[in-house]
Amino acid sequence: MKILVLNCGSSSVKYQLLDMATEQQLAKGSVERIGMDSAQLIHVKANAASVREVSPILDHTTAVRRVLSILSHPEHGVISDVADIIAVGHRVVHGGEMFSSSVVITPAVKDTIRCLFDLAPLHNPANLLGINAAEAALPGVPQVAVFDTAFHSAMPRMAFLYALPYVLYKRYKVRRYGFHGMSHRYVSERAAQLLGRPAEDLRIITCHLGNGASVAAVKGGHSIDTSMGFTPLEGLVMGTRSGDLDPAALLYIMAKEELGLGEAQAMLNKHSGLQGLSGMSDMREIEQEMWDGNAKAREAFEIFCYRVRKYIGSYAAALEGVDAVVFTGGIGENSNAVREEVCKGLGYLGVDFDAQANSEAPRGQEAEISRPGSRVRVFVIPTNEELVIARDTATLVRQTQPVGD
Amino acid sequence: MSTIHRVGILGAAWMGPGIAEMASHKGFEAVLVDRTQEALEAGRQAVEQSLNAQLEKWAITEVEMRLVLSRITFTTDYDALSGCDVVIESLLGDLESKRESFARLDRICKKNIILAMNTSTLSVTEIAQATSRPTRVIGLHFLAPVVRTQVVEVVRGLKTSDATFRESKAFVESLGKTGVEVYESPGFVTTRLILPMINEAAYALLEGVASAEGIDTAMRLGFEFAHGPLEMADRMGLDTVLLMLERLWRDYGDLKFRPCPLIRKMVRGGHLGLKTGEGFFKYDKEGHRLH
Repeated sequence: MKILVLNCGSSSVKYQLLDMATEQQLAKGSVERIGMDSAQLIHVKANAASVREVSPILDHTTAVRRVLSILSHPEHGVISDVADIIAVGHRVVHGGEMFSSSVVITPAVKDTIRCLFDLAPLHNPANLLGINAAEAALPGVPQVAVFDTAFHSAMPRMAFLYALPYVLYKRYKVRRYGFHGMSHRYVSERAAQLLGRPAEDLRIITCHLGNGASVAAVKGGHSIDTSMGFTPLEGLVMGTRSGDLDPAALLYIMAKEELGLGEAQAMLNKHSGLQGLSGMSDMREIEQEMWDGNAKAREAFEIFCYRVRKYIGSYAAALEGVDAVVFTGGIGENSNAVREEVCKGLGYLGVDFDAQANSEAPRGQEAEISRPGSRVRVFVIPTNEELVIARDTATLVRQTQPVGD
Repeated sequence: MSTIHRVGILGAAWMGPGIAEMASHKGFEAVLVDRTQEALEAGRQAVEQSLNAQLEKWAITEVEMRLVLSRITFTTDYDALSGCDVVIESLLGDLESKRESFARLDRICKKNIILAMNTSTLSVTEIAQATSRPTRVIGLHFLAPVVRTQVVEVVRGLKTSDATFRESKAFVESLGKTGVEVYESPGFVTTRLILPMINEAAYALLEGVASAEGIDTAMRLGFEFAHGPLEMADRMGLDTVLLMLERLWRDYGDLKFRPCPLIRKMVRGGHLGLKTGEGFFKYDKEGHRLH
């Protein structure tokens, strides 16, 4: 049972092919610069060197066709026939209030995704392009949409409503949605397995720290609060995004600098965060500079970690206690300095941090970084959003087509 | 029509660089053609200056700036337009020179693509006659500054087909602008309505009704304009204002378009507005009005 997972941007397609019998990844890759003569396909077959091709790829349908042809290529491919792909799972960023779980794509589902363009103007249109492309390239093959927001859809109203005039929620659905849902879901489920206890009994705080970053409070297997809000701008300090700030500060800056909406939006999303504080958006570079004595880099590092720690504290309150804290995402998985700085001072909460286990945690693998007997257990768990998409896709396809493969 | 990937722009002296920048920003490949290297160099500088201003205001990042520049080809080779999926002519010039340009574009460009003329007053119908594809010729009236102004008049000549109009409007909207359908008529909507106001403002000044500052402040605050009519005129260039008034005066034969003598006098004296640093008001090199 082979499933193709697609994550489509406005000019890119990322893909993975998984064999669901073993949940093994067979191949992965990406097409970048779609729409240009110099579009680039990078294809990595498991245990083989990567293949790179530059050719004109002018639209997403062509991109998906190129992906299919390399997947079935005699040398670089991993399947003999495109017909081996029994379903396609798509990452869709925004499910709004309409989708609380993954769905098989129908014309009505596509219409709803289109209705949500307003809420995710950069992502949903590209996701829909990808869906249409896959439908064209693989006619008759079931397609499933898996939403970034779905895992947070059971948040209680007290967590998702902003204290704004209520009419704005009624009129425009302005509320907290949360993102990175597949990642928070995957690592919280894994943490429950590592703890050997049913998810229903657990209170877990998951920290997805990447270029975009968010924290989620997971209770009984559901996200009950998360730091990203109406858009992925709220919450933590990120590579180039500000995270939380006083909205009045923005209004003041807009008046002083005579900024328009587009400028203000770009300032908050692309020029702020670590980049705004230190001139560097990459945590690896910041850490390097920090060890070399760069004070700005150290400050950015500390502000980033402090914000994560504050959220852990507040979610411990929201969850009425915490059983485990999980780090994932590019920074969460790879930066032991960030993990240590965040966990420093969480002793009062019951975290008995194991600095040695933390600094020796192997790259790309799961690790426990709290001491044996720690009341709150701390884990590093590499995320696997594609696997979540593939699993949901497989489950839905089995339900709709119960008669074998 | 196949999808548009490459946008050709003819003319780097006027709004061409702005159109190229905008198209590139929206992900199209842009080809900016002009006769001389000097004009192209000035065009490149205009794009860089505009991008720098946006960078300063955090509107774009340095990576985006490089990307926008890298998607614009500056060339003196007209044949580069043969690979374009739509071409916008944006030359300064009179009807005769535009007819020649369109005849040439018609020969160079792919057979079925749209040829658009960026003009505020010239006749699309007449220009279309210079080509073998009058149904595929349309007017796209961009307003300066191109990057900031939100509206484009999509001008139907007598023979412009419905498909050409629809595709053009969709293209304009893919540039992030709102397209307004206009049937060819001198000055269309925007120019026809704004020029008499500017002209009347100049008369009011000439008659001593109020100071230039007073006239602009009254109109700016009274009607929520970004700039008062006299500053608008300075920004358009008083020579351009005069030229357009004369065209409308001639085409309509209506006295309401007769240019105010004060504008004529200022043009003769070389007070052309922003571009010479002085018109009704004074300006610094960055284009900020001095108070």
